[in-house]
Parts: sequence; structure tokens; C-alpha cells
Amino acid sequence: MKTKISALHIPHNKNTASMNAVAISAPAEVLLPMNMHGGAPAVPVVAVGDYVRVGQMIAKEEGRNSVPVHATISGTVTAVEEMKISGATTTVIRIAGDGKMEKDPTLAPKNPENLDEFLTILRDSGIVGLGGAAFPLWAKLDAARKNHIKTVLVNGAECEPYITSDHRTMVENADLVVRGVQILKKFLDSEEFVIGIEDNKPDAIAKLKELFKDMPYVNVKPLKAVYPQGAKQVLLYNAAGLVAKEGQRLASLGVIIINVTTLAKMALYLDTGMPLVDKIVTVDGAAIAEPKNLIVPIGTPIQNLVDECGGLKGDVGKIIIGGPMMGKTTDSLESPVIKACNALLVFDEASSKALEPSACIHCGRCVEACPLNLNPTAYSKAMEIEDEELRYQILTEENVSMCMACGCCAYVCPAHKPLVTTNNQAKSFVRKMKAAKEPKKEGAK
Amino acid sequence: MKAFSMSPAPHIHSGASTSRVMLDVVIALLPASVAAVAIFGIKALWIILACVIGAVVSEALFNMCTGRKQTIGDMSAVVTGLLLALNLSTNVPLWQCVVGAAFAIIVVKCLFGGLGCNFANPAITARVFMLITFSAVAGGSTELYSGATPLELLGTEGAAIPGMGAMFLGTYGGAIGETSSVALLIGFAYLLVRKVISWHIPVVFIGTVFVLTFIAGGANFALYQILAGGLFIGAIFMATDYVTSPITKKGKVIFAVGCGVITFIVRYFCAYPEGVSFSILIMNLFVPIIERFSRNIPLGGGK
Repeated sequence: MKTKISALHIPHNKNTASMNAVAISAPAEVLLPMNMHGGAPAVPVVAVGDYVRVGQMIAKEEGRNSVPVHATISGTVTAVEEMKISGATTTVIRIAGDGKMEKDPTLAPKNPENLDEFLTILRDSGIVGLGGAAFPLWAKLDAARKNHIKTVLVNGAECEPYITSDHRTMVENADLVVRGVQILKKFLDSEEFVIGIEDNKPDAIAKLKELFKDMPYVNVKPLKAVYPQGAKQVLLYNAAGLVAKEGQRLASLGVIIINVTTLAKMALYLDTGMPLVDKIVTVDGAAIAEPKNLIVPIGTPIQNLVDECGGLKGDVGKIIIGGPMMGKTTDSLESPVIKACNALLVFDEASSKALEPSACIHCGRCVEACPLNLNPTAYSKAMEIEDEELRYQILTEENVSMCMACGCCAYVCPAHKPLVTTNNQAKSFVRKMKAAKEPKKEGAK
Repeated sequence: MKAFSMSPAPHIHSGASTSRVMLDVVIALLPASVAAVAIFGIKALWIILACVIGAVVSEALFNMCTGRKQTIGDMSAVVTGLLLALNLSTNVPLWQCVVGAAFAIIVVKCLFGGLGCNFANPAITARVFMLITFSAVAGGSTELYSGATPLELLGTEGAAIPGMGAMFLGTYGGAIGETSSVALLIGFAYLLVRKVISWHIPVVFIGTVFVLTFIAGGANFALYQILAGGLFIGAIFMATDYVTSPITKKGKVIFAVGCGVITFIVRYFCAYPEGVSFSILIMNLFVPIIERFSRNIPLGGGK
């Protein structure tokens, strides 16, 4: 069945698209939270006073879906402490830098022989999905043990406005993208690689097309520059013509989606032994004096990024970590850059004003805008129903759990309803009800 | 230094607003309003003003008396008042216009919880209320174009009916805003360009009436039927009311077919010469059940 996926034309604001990423000057301190990935937090293996070098493991993975954390600057561990970062308390390791950025001398290229070795080694890299999900890469690729991965979708869509971090990776580190494809080809033996890139990045498309021209199994595919082109289901359909059923794992379709920067970091790790220690971060927004793309050690306080970009200008409204559609606000310039952070936006006061919500007029724009064909206004109405059973029934009938919080509904809503917020509340309500309904598992209380 | 504001995503907005949507509807109704005054004279203007002012003041007073947030800024009362006016004939005294507008706003909208909560279209319900209470609503008579509506004439043996050209321009008896098909079509085009409404309800509604009357009486009869009796204003401006029509495209099509069939039945088989208001009002009641069976299938979801 031919499906039309709704998408929005949102002003791209890719002001930094042609700006080479420049390395930030070595920060005086970094804060490395232990929960920068999807699974259980990592466990510190260093103590206060230890001298650490760039790339040295300072926290070990703990259980499934977890990855280690590495020192991102050279210097001395000054604290291993509990800290509240964006609402959640987590353990952080503070390192006072010595400004030398000295590399761990034991780092060496990796030469895994087979898939098992490859995955084990990859776990030590600390690499997580850098498109935003922060799910450990090794755990994602682990699915390849059970399912043959026929198609690898490389996500270079970068559909969020402002952000050009993946774009710069594709232009400046195209060789690593090629290496990444070669490595995955070797270990996954996939038939097809599709690199999906929005057509507002013609230089990246041209460059990769040129580099991949002798690899017939690689398809560099220009995609329409619409939001949310890079979302899992949207990319899956637009780049590979496939649809995953609700709750279905992509691997069972013979597909994995891997962000292009994640792929490049993976190649870098295998070829040099350098784990995930830095990132290209787009710094932009009306309150940033000189927008830039910066290469930033993970854990760098965002204050350093702001300083590197000429500081703040005008009336400052809000700080967003990530893009304007899905990013999270923070109220502190002390907040560190985490692994999944690809942009820092500082908006001026005028563009930070909260819109006053009014009554839903049932116009259907949210329904029209939803890439997954969901019904956001029905969720927000259902959340007002007192009878929990009825509320649960309506929400599940209307498939609320599929919502990916892309923000399209709230973006178009003329009544300025906080639809993403109500969608999220509805999703967690359904999760809670489902858990309560399920028969208690053995041993579970 | 002042604190940075915290808020959930998304952090940008398209700029769309309820008042802008309503303003677009008002703009789309301007050609029909101008045509009303041109065809029916200055009395049409007084009717428009009476209804619009009546509607806005009713809402303002209701909000004041009940201690609610003032909502007249969303412009929806202007739309309701204007639509009601365009559905009345010049026979209607101004005090009745004000009563009708107040009924639309207070009884049909505000008492159900305000904008977005009413299940029936306020302007249509008020029109039907006035039709029943005051009787003379539709049949127009002015110095220029007086007398019965074409649909009334069609039911009268041997009566001379207006020609097709007059039907298109609107130079015949009827409610002040319903007669000029060309003015209403200009408004329709504007609403489509501004993406305020989609084509589904108007086209399917009018199309259904056309097909049924074509089967019943041939091409000429069908063309006459769609141009006459408030079908255009009903299909373009009243049946498409967001609040009282289904949200999905599938639902809109079902709703519009229902409107068309009921319009045909009322006009063809019932005592009332006019069926558009009744059809929309009846279909308004079916919206919840239509919505239940016209849900979109989510991408990768469903059965």
C-alpha cells in the first residue's frame, strides 16, 4: 500500500551549514555524567586524585545496554559525586584539565576477526546512537547475531532546524563514513547500504556519491528536506520503502538504522582506538553572538561553548540542548555537553515566549501533520476523562504509544495546545495501566 | 542575571492561531457580504451588523456574567454572527437578528462550554430556531428582488423561475448571503489557498446533491438545485465548521455524503423547500459516531 507520510516545511535555519567545525580550546574542567546512554549508568573506576588521559576508560559499563565512559581531556579527577542534571540525579566524574589534551598512550587500532569480537570491542568504545536516542551502538548491532541485516540505513537526514553537526561530519569526515560502511559490510555482510541525506545538503550528497561510486552496494539517497525526515519510521519508509509494525524491531525486518556520525565515530574507534570523547556541536540561535560548529570534548560545560561563540547577545530567553523541535531546555550554563548532544541553541526572549493555550477548535491540523497518522487532539481530550478505564481504552484504541514526540502537532496547533506534553503524559499513563494490568511476574513484587 | 526559561519541546511554532483562522473565514465571507449589500440593498448591511454585534456582545456579556476568561478576541463570534446574517433574508426585523445571534452564541455555544465544545453549528441552529420561532427567514423581498425563493417557486406549478445566470450571480430572492454562488466560490478558493479548509466537505456535499438531483431530474435540474437554496454557503462555510465536523478526511467525506443525501431527501420529499440547514444540523449529531469509524490507520499500526 502506498502511504503518504505527512511532513512539515519548517524554516531550516541551517545558518552554520558551511562553517567548518573548529576545536574548542581545552576546557578547564569537564563533568562526565554516568547516564549518557540508554541503559544502566556506568560505574566509576577512577578515584579523586587520579591522573587521566584522553580516551582512558574512567567508568565501566554496568549490565545490558550500558557502555563505559572515557576521559575526554587530560587532567586530574577532582570529584566523583552525585549531581542533579536536567531534573535527574546522577553520578558525575569531574576532571580538572591540564590543558595538554594528552592522549592515552595505550590506545591502538582494533582488528576484530569476527562479529563477536567486533561487538565486544565496540562495547568498549562508549559509542551510543548520536542522533539523539543514545542507545548503545553495540547493543543495536547485537541484533545482527539473530537476524541477517540485509539493509543498513545510514541516517544523514538531520531534519531538525539549525543543526548541522551531521552535515559537517559528512563533509569533513567523509572518509570515516566510507570506512564505517566498509567495516559494517565486513561484519554484517549486508546487501545494501542506503545513506539518506536531506537535499538541503548538496555538498554532502555530492561528496559521498563521489566516494562511494565504486561501491555498487551503497546508495547515497537524497531525501526531501522536510521535518521529521530523520525519524525512524519516516526514514525507514522514505529511504527503504519499509514499514515497521507497532513495537516491531527493525532488525526483524532485516534493517538497522545508524546515524552517520555514530558510523564515523565507530570507524574512528576501530582505526585509531580512540573511543567516543568528542562531538561536533552546532551552536546557534538568536542570542548567540557568532554561531559556529565546534568540536567539543564531551562533558564540557555549555558556558565554554557560548564563550567560544562570542558570548550571548541581547535578551536571552532559553537554552536548548538539541534542536528546536525535540530539544530540552536547561536553566544552567554549567550543564555539560553529553554524548547525544548535537546542538546548543540559545533563543532570545522574543522567541522564547510561552504561547497561551486556548480551546481546541477540532481543526484537525495535528492529525494532518502527524507523520504516523495519529490523533493528538484525541489524546489531550482523553486525558481529561476521569474514568481511568475509559481513558485507557480510548488512548490505546487511538495508538498513543506510537507517538514519537516529534512535535509536528504542537507546531501547527492554532490553539497553541501543548500537545507533545499531553501525548507524553498519555503515553506514560498507558504504560502505567498496562503494567498494572499484566499478570505479576514470578518473583516480582 | 535573570533565569533562563524552561519549557517542553517544541520550542518553535508555525505562527498559526485561532483568531487568524477565524479572520480568514471572515475574509472569505467578504465577497458574499458585499454581494449581499449590492443585491439586497442597505438593509442587508444592517442585518449583518445586527448579527455580528449581537453575537460578539452576547459572548462578551456571557463571559463577564459567568466570570470566564474573555474570548471574543478569538473572532469566532464574528464568524458566527456573519454566517447567521448571511443566512437570513431582508424580511427579518433587526431585533430578531439580535435574538438569533444571542441564541447562537449563548445557548448553542457558551452553554456547552464555549468554542470547541458545541456539538451543533451555532449559526445553523440559530437559523433553524428562527425559522421555527419567527417563520419568515429565508424568503426574501426587497425593492430589487422580492418574493419567494427559487426552490419555493419550483414547488409552485406554473411559477416563473429565475434564469441560470441570475442563479449564479445571485440576483434573486433568498437569504442575503446564500444567493450569489460566484461570491461564495471566491471565498471557497480563498479558504483553500489559505489551507483553512480542505476540499472534501464542500465538493462531496455539493457533488452528492448534484448526482442525486441529476438522477431525479436531469442535468439542468441538477445544476439549478446546486445553485439554489443555500447549498453553496452551507457546504463551503457551515458544514466545514471544524468543531462540528469530523476530523479525518475519511470522516469528512462520510459526513458530506450524509449532508448531501439529507438535503436531497428534504428538498424532494418533504414539505420544506430547503434542506441544507437541516442536513448539516442532523449530520452534526452523527459526528461522534462517524469519527469512531473513520479513524486514520497509523503508519505500521492498526490491525
